[in-house]
Amino acid sequence: MNGPVAEALAANPDLRTGFEEFRKAAHEALGEELTAQVRHAVAGVHGIDLPPPVGTAPPATLAYARRIPFEHTAITDEEAAAVVAELGEERFVAFSVVAALADAECRAEKVGLTGLSA
Amino acid sequence: MSTIPRVSSAIAGEPAHFGSVLAHQPAIAAAFTRLYGRFWGSDVLSARLKEVARMRNARVTECGFCRNVRFDKALGQGLGEDVVDDIDWGYETSDRLTDAEKAVLKFTDAFIHDPELLTGDAEAALKRHLSPEQIAELGLGLTLFLALAKALITMGLEPEVMDRTVLPTPAPTEPVQ
Repeated sequence: MNGPVAEALAANPDLRTGFEEFRKAAHEALGEELTAQVRHAVAGVHGIDLPPPVGTAPPATLAYARRIPFEHTAITDEEAAAVVAELGEERFVAFSVVAALADAECRAEKVGLTGLSA
Repeated sequence: MSTIPRVSSAIAGEPAHFGSVLAHQPAIAAAFTRLYGRFWGSDVLSARLKEVARMRNARVTECGFCRNVRFDKALGQGLGEDVVDDIDWGYETSDRLTDAEKAVLKFTDAFIHDPELLTGDAEAALKRHLSPEQIAELGLGLTLFLALAKALITMGLEPEVMDRTVLPTPAPTEPVQ
């Protein structure tokens, strides 16, 4: 599943391919399992049901992900440090991109981007 | 909101900024650069309308870096500071913004803030001024602007102070197929 933004770009294969490559690079960098957990957590904040992910996510990481949609400016240095401790710096960078992208894709769905672009 | 980087630079000798931090993940950086260049290089939606949406996103997300950057292509299409100043609360009554820009701004607010703002009138205005392909491109732009702003902020990469900076508009790094 490539989400509402990729679907909306059906008439523009160049941008669609570029977006799918970006999204795939971010998801692969974080790892399939944790990506699914982060996306599920972010979607839950938006009231969007995604299939329940497998595995157990690092707790600080999931709590942080849930703050991205509506509280991104209120996240503290301590909360960020806890995620870095769980993931390491390299995966924290991937996590930051994946979580922010998940939030944006949920918003695209909520506003009905696919239908507006058809 | 922290202005202290929460991640170190991955490039020796460089301070932590978006590029040097994203260098921890070169595949993401390369894919983003390719996509952002293609997005700005496409003329399906004008650079001016893209920049109007980007400026609105910068204000709503409180991204200081985004707010102080200007892309030269939009400047060349007449998006001066007098117009940018009106991309604020109350933009609906601006006499500098066009009706198409106001429709884009309303959709931007619905996308990044509250989907309920896309009322029947707002959706009709958007469809009156933009084709479905333009709306798709705007949606991609908003996705990237929002994700970039939130990633910058949450990684502590907001500048303490920053002057307004005009940058070359990102361009495709490879021939568009």
